[in-house]
Amino acid sequence: MAKIFALVLSAVLLFSLPLKSQTTKVFPFDYKIEELENGLKVVSVPLSNPNIISYYTIVRSGSRNEVEPGKSGFAHFFEHMMFKGTKQVPKAAYDDFLSRLGAGTNGFTTDDFTCYFVVFAGRENLEKVVRTEADRFINLVYSEDVIKTEAPVIEGEYYASVSNPDRRLSELLRDTAFEKHSYKHTTLGFLKDIQDMPNQHEYSLLYKKRFYAPDNSILLVAGDFDHAQLLTLVKKYYSGWEKSNYSLQTPVEPPQTQLKRAHYPWPTKTMPRLAVAFHGPAYSDEVIDKAALDLLAEVSFSPSSPLYQRLVNEEQKCLSLGAGFNDTRDPSLLIFNAVLKNEEDLPYVEGEILKELEKVKTEPAPAQKLADIKSNTKYSLAGALGTTDGVAGTLAFYINLAADPGTVNKLFGLYDRVTPRDILDIAKKYFKPANCTIVTLAGGKAK
Amino acid sequence: MRGIMDAKIGLFCLLMIGASFLLTSCGSKVDPNKITTELLPVTDNPLVHFRVLIKIGSANDPSGKEGLCQLAWNMLADGGTRLMSIKEITEKFYPMAAGVSVSMDKEMAAFSGTVHKDNLDKYYAIFKNMLLDPGFREDDFNRLRTNQTNFIEKSLTSNMDEPFGKEILNLMLHDGHPYGHHEAGTVESVKGLTLEDVKAFYKEQFVQGNIIIGLAGGYPADLPARIEVDFKRLPESFTPRLSLPPAPAPQGIEVVIADKPSPATAISLGFPVTLTKADKDFFALWIAGSHFGEHRQSVSHLFQKIREERGQNYGDYAYIEHFVQGRDKFPAPNHARQQQYFSIWIRPLANANRHFVIRQALRELKKLVDEGISEDRFQLVRTYLLNYTKLYAQTLGERLGWQMDSHYYGYQDFLAEAQSVLPRLTRDDVNRAIKKYLNFENICLAVITQDAEGLKNDLVSNTPSPVKYANPDMPRAVLDEDTVIQEYPLAVRLEKIKTAPAAEFFQRAGLPGK
Repeated sequence: MAKIFALVLSAVLLFSLPLKSQTTKVFPFDYKIEELENGLKVVSVPLSNPNIISYYTIVRSGSRNEVEPGKSGFAHFFEHMMFKGTKQVPKAAYDDFLSRLGAGTNGFTTDDFTCYFVVFAGRENLEKVVRTEADRFINLVYSEDVIKTEAPVIEGEYYASVSNPDRRLSELLRDTAFEKHSYKHTTLGFLKDIQDMPNQHEYSLLYKKRFYAPDNSILLVAGDFDHAQLLTLVKKYYSGWEKSNYSLQTPVEPPQTQLKRAHYPWPTKTMPRLAVAFHGPAYSDEVIDKAALDLLAEVSFSPSSPLYQRLVNEEQKCLSLGAGFNDTRDPSLLIFNAVLKNEEDLPYVEGEILKELEKVKTEPAPAQKLADIKSNTKYSLAGALGTTDGVAGTLAFYINLAADPGTVNKLFGLYDRVTPRDILDIAKKYFKPANCTIVTLAGGKAK
Repeated sequence: MRGIMDAKIGLFCLLMIGASFLLTSCGSKVDPNKITTELLPVTDNPLVHFRVLIKIGSANDPSGKEGLCQLAWNMLADGGTRLMSIKEITEKFYPMAAGVSVSMDKEMAAFSGTVHKDNLDKYYAIFKNMLLDPGFREDDFNRLRTNQTNFIEKSLTSNMDEPFGKEILNLMLHDGHPYGHHEAGTVESVKGLTLEDVKAFYKEQFVQGNIIIGLAGGYPADLPARIEVDFKRLPESFTPRLSLPPAPAPQGIEVVIADKPSPATAISLGFPVTLTKADKDFFALWIAGSHFGEHRQSVSHLFQKIREERGQNYGDYAYIEHFVQGRDKFPAPNHARQQQYFSIWIRPLANANRHFVIRQALRELKKLVDEGISEDRFQLVRTYLLNYTKLYAQTLGERLGWQMDSHYYGYQDFLAEAQSVLPRLTRDDVNRAIKKYLNFENICLAVITQDAEGLKNDLVSNTPSPVKYANPDMPRAVLDEDTVIQEYPLAVRLEKIKTAPAAEFFQRAGLPGK
C-alpha cells in the first residue's frame, strides 16, 4: 500500500472517467486470466498505448521462501542466475537478443516474489520475446564455475549499499522483530550467507526445481498486443514447462511477548534514524484489518498529518516521517520511521510517535480526513497506471498476492468501507507495547 | 525527412498555440525578455503536467554563495506562499495526490507537477502562487537551509559513496569553473546564506526571459493564455546565458582519494569533452559511449568485462555527457548543459581489488581509443540505441522534458533526429569520434576508500595487483588477461594524488587534501 501513496502522478493516462465518480473500479482496464494445464497463469492487459509491450514473469518465490538456515538471500541470488542462458540461447546470445531488441530489462526480488521484465517496442517482436523467455525459464543451465563467478557480484551489490544507513536499519529491524519467519532477513540476505553462495551450486538446482515452475509462476503482459495471439504463443512455448507441486511451509512467527529494542552505532556522521514497528496482518482484499491500517498510517503519518507538520515543518526535529506497511503474503511489520536532525531528539520523537499511536485508539479520525485519504489513494493509483509499464509494474505486486488484477478493485472497495470506528478498533488490536520493536541508528563507533 | 518534420511542427504550432504564444522552434522571433512556452497537448488525457523550466542553475550561484540557487528554488517548491503556509499547501494538495518538485542542475532547474484534470483549477491556483508569490518565511528558510547542510555533512560524504565519488569527480573536472561546486554548495557557504540572499536571487533571476513554461496533457484550450497573464506579472528581463571558460583539461592521471572506514571502494573517472547533443558528432560518440558503458544495461562492454567475466562488483558504466537517471533506468530530461564530460562509473567493490579494477578500466579505455569499435559491435549497439530510445519518452513529463531539451540543443525533436541520423552512420564515423573526443592519458580519478595512503602508494609504485577469485576454475582467457591487467602500468605521479578524510570534502570551496 505504501508504494501507491508514494507514486507521483506523471503519465499518459489511458482512461478518462472523472475519478470522483468512481467508487470501486479503480483499475479500469479490461484483462483476461488464463491458466495452462501445467498451472502457469497468464494475465493479459491489452492497452491502447501504441507500440510498447511490458512482459513480466513473476515467480512467487522471494526471501519468504528462504526458510532453511544459511540460505538467506538465495531468491535474489537465483534472480542473477536466471540471466545465464540455455543450451539453445547461451548467455552471450541472450544478451545479444536483448540488445538488438533495445529492451528495458531487468529483474528484482522482494519478500514474496521475484520478477523479470522485458519492456520493448514493436508488437512484431512479441513472438521472439515469448519464445526466448520461455526457453530461459524452462531450460536454464549453468555450471558450477558460473555460480562461483556470479556469487561475488551479490557481494558487490551488498557493497553498493553498504554506505546507506537505511539498509542497515532495515536489516536490524527485521532481525530484531522476527524470531522464526523468513521475513527476518532482507532480500539481499545476511552477509555470511552471501559469502557462502559460491558453494551453493547443488542447492541452486534444488531451488530451481522447487520454485521455478509453472505452478509457482505468473505471466503478466500489458500493452499493445492481441490477447488471442499472446495466448497461442504462450501455449506453444510454455506448455513443456513441468510442474513442481512443491509446497512451501513457512515458519509461523510466534506472538511477540515483550517490547524489543536495538541500536546500531553508525561509524561516521549521519542523520539519526528511528523505526517503531509492530507485527501486523498479511495482505487481504477481504478482511478489513490491513486496509484500515493503511488508512491509519495516512491519518497519522502522511505529510498532511498534524504530527508530520509539527515534527518536520514546525519543530523541525525531523527531516522526514512516514509509515510503511508492505503488502505481503504472510504477516509482516507495520513500520513508523523517522529521519532526525539531532541524536538527542531520538527519545522525544519516539515518544511522539508512540503518543500518536495511543491517540488513534481513542480519537476517531475526522470524516473529512478519511475522505481526503481515499481521494489521495485513487488519484495516486491513477497516476501509477498512466503508462504501459506503470500498469504492469503496479500489477506485479498485486498479482503476486492474489493472481487477479481484480484484487486492486476489491482492496479499494475495502478502503471505501473503512470507518473511523474500524481505525479505532484496529489500533487497539495491533499497537500494544508487547508487540512493538524499536530500533535506532546514529553516528558513533561501529561494533 | 527533416522537411516533413518541420511541416508537422509548423502545423502543430498553428493548431495548438494561441496567437500570443510562439515557440522558439517555430522559427518566430522571441523577445528574450519575455516568457516562452512549450506546449504538448494530448487532448484525451485526463492528466495535466506542468513543467516550469528556469534557465538558472547552480553555475549562477554568486561567488561565496554556493548553494544559493538550490536553496532559493527549494524555497519555492517546499516553502509556503505569501497567503498559504507549506502546511496548508500540503493539506490542499494531498487529496489530489499532487505536489511540486524541483530538479536542479548547473544551468537550469525544472519545477514540475502533475494533476488529474478533476483538480486542475485548484492545483494551478496554488502552483502559480508558489512560483509567483512565495512566502519566504524565516522558518521555512531555516528548515531548508539546515536540510541542505545536513545533506552535505551527514549524507553525501558519509551515507552515499557512489554519488560522493561522482561529485568529487565533478570538483576535479571543474576546478575554478562555474560548474565547480555541488548544487547544494558547501557547508561553509550555505551556513552563510541569508533569507535576504534568497529574496534577492529570486528577484534577480526569476524573471520572464529566464523561464519556459511547459504544459502537457489534457489541459483546456484557454489555460496557456491564463498562465501567460499570470506569469507576465514577473519583470521583463533575462540573464544572458553564461559564457563559460573551457573546463581545465587534466594533466596526466589526477587522483583524489577520500578516506573513510568502509569494506568497499567507489570509483569514478572522467575528463571534459568538447561536444554536447548540439554537435553533429554527438550521435557517433553516443554509439561509442553506449558500447563502452550503457547505463545499467548488459550491452555495456565494461559491465561484461568487470562484472560478468570477473564478478568484481554490481556494474560498470560510461557516459559521454552528464547523466541523471529518471524513470526506470532512462535518462532524465532537463539536465542540459553547454559543456559536458565523459565519465566511467565503477560500482563499489572489495577494497582488495580496487587497484586491479582501476587498471582494468583504464586499460579498457585505452583499448577503446586505440582500437575503436568492431563492426559487429557497431551494428549491434546502433540497433540497440534505435530501439531502446523508443522507450525514453513515455510519461507526459518525459515527453515534455525531451521536447524542451530538443529545443535547447537546436532540434525539433532530438529522439526523432536520432532515428534519422543513427542509420546513416558508419563504424568509421564512430571511431573517428572516439579518436577526436576520448583519451586515456589525461583523466581524473576519484576514489572513496579506506586506507587512502595504501592506494596512493600502490598507484605511484605500480605495485602488481593480482586478484583472488572465489571460483578456482576461472576461464583461462580471463586469467591470461588478468596477468596483463595486474601489471598494467599507470603513469600516476605522486604530486598528482590528493588524499583527505571523507568528512573534509564539501566543507568549503575547492578540494581538500594534501
